[in-house]
Amino acid sequence: MTALDSSTGGLTGGPVGGPADSSATGPAGSAPARGLWRSLALRAGAVVALVAIWQAVAMARIWPPVFVPEPLAVWEQFLRTTTDGVSGYTLQEHLLTSLRRILLGCLYGVAGGVLLGLLIGMVPTLRALLGPLVTFVRTLPPLAYLSLLVIWFGIDEEPKIWLLLLAALPPVAVATADAVRSVHEDYLNAARSLGARRHELPLRVVLPSALPEIITGVRVAVGVAYTTVVAAETVNGVPGIGGMVRDAQRYNQTDVVVLGILVIGVSGLLIDFLLQTIDRRLVPWRGRT
Amino acid sequence: MRSRATDQGTVRQAGVVESGTGEAGEGAVGVDIGTDEKTAAAEPGTGKDAAVAGGPALALAGVSHSYRGRGGTVTALGPVDLEIARGEFVTVVGPSGCGKSTLLRLVAGFAAPSTGRITASGRPVAGPDPARGYVFQQHRLFPWLSVAGNIGFGLRGTPKAERRARVAELLELTGLGDVGRARPYELSGGMQQRAAIARALAPGPALLLMDEPFAALDAFTRERMQEEVRELWRRAGTTVVFITHSVDEAVYLGTRVLALSGRPGQVIFDRASDLPYEEQPRGRPRFAALREELTAVVRQAASAGGGTAA
Repeated sequence: MTALDSSTGGLTGGPVGGPADSSATGPAGSAPARGLWRSLALRAGAVVALVAIWQAVAMARIWPPVFVPEPLAVWEQFLRTTTDGVSGYTLQEHLLTSLRRILLGCLYGVAGGVLLGLLIGMVPTLRALLGPLVTFVRTLPPLAYLSLLVIWFGIDEEPKIWLLLLAALPPVAVATADAVRSVHEDYLNAARSLGARRHELPLRVVLPSALPEIITGVRVAVGVAYTTVVAAETVNGVPGIGGMVRDAQRYNQTDVVVLGILVIGVSGLLIDFLLQTIDRRLVPWRGRT
Repeated sequence: MRSRATDQGTVRQAGVVESGTGEAGEGAVGVDIGTDEKTAAAEPGTGKDAAVAGGPALALAGVSHSYRGRGGTVTALGPVDLEIARGEFVTVVGPSGCGKSTLLRLVAGFAAPSTGRITASGRPVAGPDPARGYVFQQHRLFPWLSVAGNIGFGLRGTPKAERRARVAELLELTGLGDVGRARPYELSGGMQQRAAIARALAPGPALLLMDEPFAALDAFTRERMQEEVRELWRRAGTTVVFITHSVDEAVYLGTRVLALSGRPGQVIFDRASDLPYEEQPRGRPRFAALREELTAVVRQAASAGGGTAA
């Protein structure tokens, strides 16, 4: 095992291996900077270790490459799909199409979710009417209603956007409704005694004070939409990262499947990082009131 | 409006009707602190003059508040009969649980009394109104707005330039000059409470309601804030109702000091005082005397009412 590990270091882990050592050799900078380096090094180290194990398992040939492709084969697929493409589109086109679907679905889903959550949170009658419905939809796996959406909307973009919308809406609606209900009474009293009319409260007080929870809901929603997009693209999903993976599966191109999974995972991480950044910008008061 | 006018007819003289013109608060917005109220502040207890301009600043008649508890209906407050003239600085002490905060919330219009009626400047209280500013024990500044944004919240109807000038003026008045752009959570406790006071003053309320505003502050900040509020009131002349559990604070600030009994809270002590006009009230023998007397009253109320001593 150790011999194999060292050989993979030369193959894939080599260039990334540097930072992993720097935790021991890099004392430069202040304490927080050192902490940052350490966490970066740890993360890089974890990735390297994972790839190393992967390479080891692949080279051990316990299973044929159709089951476990080598990291290098996946890397070659990455180069090939970004230039020549696969299933008629390049990797970027697949990814961008999927991201566009996620963006649209989430936009509609978040808008609907916030509106619905606001209504559910503020109007008791609507809470009784719509609350169970939202919970019901939330517990359904998206694939369960995909067939219905295909029957209703065909196999083009529409059912996919609808699916993502339906996946993204409930988490936002639930988070918004909870936040709206827990808005501190004194904020409403303060606003009213400062001259705000009752009908101005939702926009001027309730929504902004619920913003932290809403954004958390959005993060959950984007995550759900991301996991759903692959399902949405099982029907006529090319171009699309999910469609690409499905096509590859049909032709036993395991390396493309693995590549697709990696791309989905990494872009998901990036999007969550982006949302975290937006969160810090929009809600600088989180946990400080 | 129509029903309100008839309500007023039963309460006071014809002069009342004039003050009932603007819809809730509109009439109060733009009332600049430090104008006509100032003269009233110079002569406390001129309630009769105030009545001509729309009745006393605040009048409570048979006001009580009860709620449904586990063991049936619990009366937390009252009945309370009270008249407060313009320019008075009324401090209210009482054992904890005596309903002094409830009293203030009723006056603010945050809740409706179970019995009795409350009128402010001759108009029945029917919900929150910018004519009655409120300062909470926790500052309750809106965290999503800057300090200036918070202060400007109650100035929505005013033109932008005017609003900006008014916010700057209030920042100056409360000693917050350069922190307008900061967020509330970036300020110290004392500054947060100053910002909360500035925000409450922005619409130009005729009545400022303060619910233990300095209870959460450290002793040093607290003392400085008391001095500042006294200064502010002397300059602005707004009528103030100030709830506190500190006898010392009540005596230091109040031109009229009230004590409530234990639950259900009723007024058991009502004394006019000119100590707030003194330069160093704490050094005066009268200060110590009043404080001692009031302490005894509150202590007795606490033991009688079963509440804890304040």
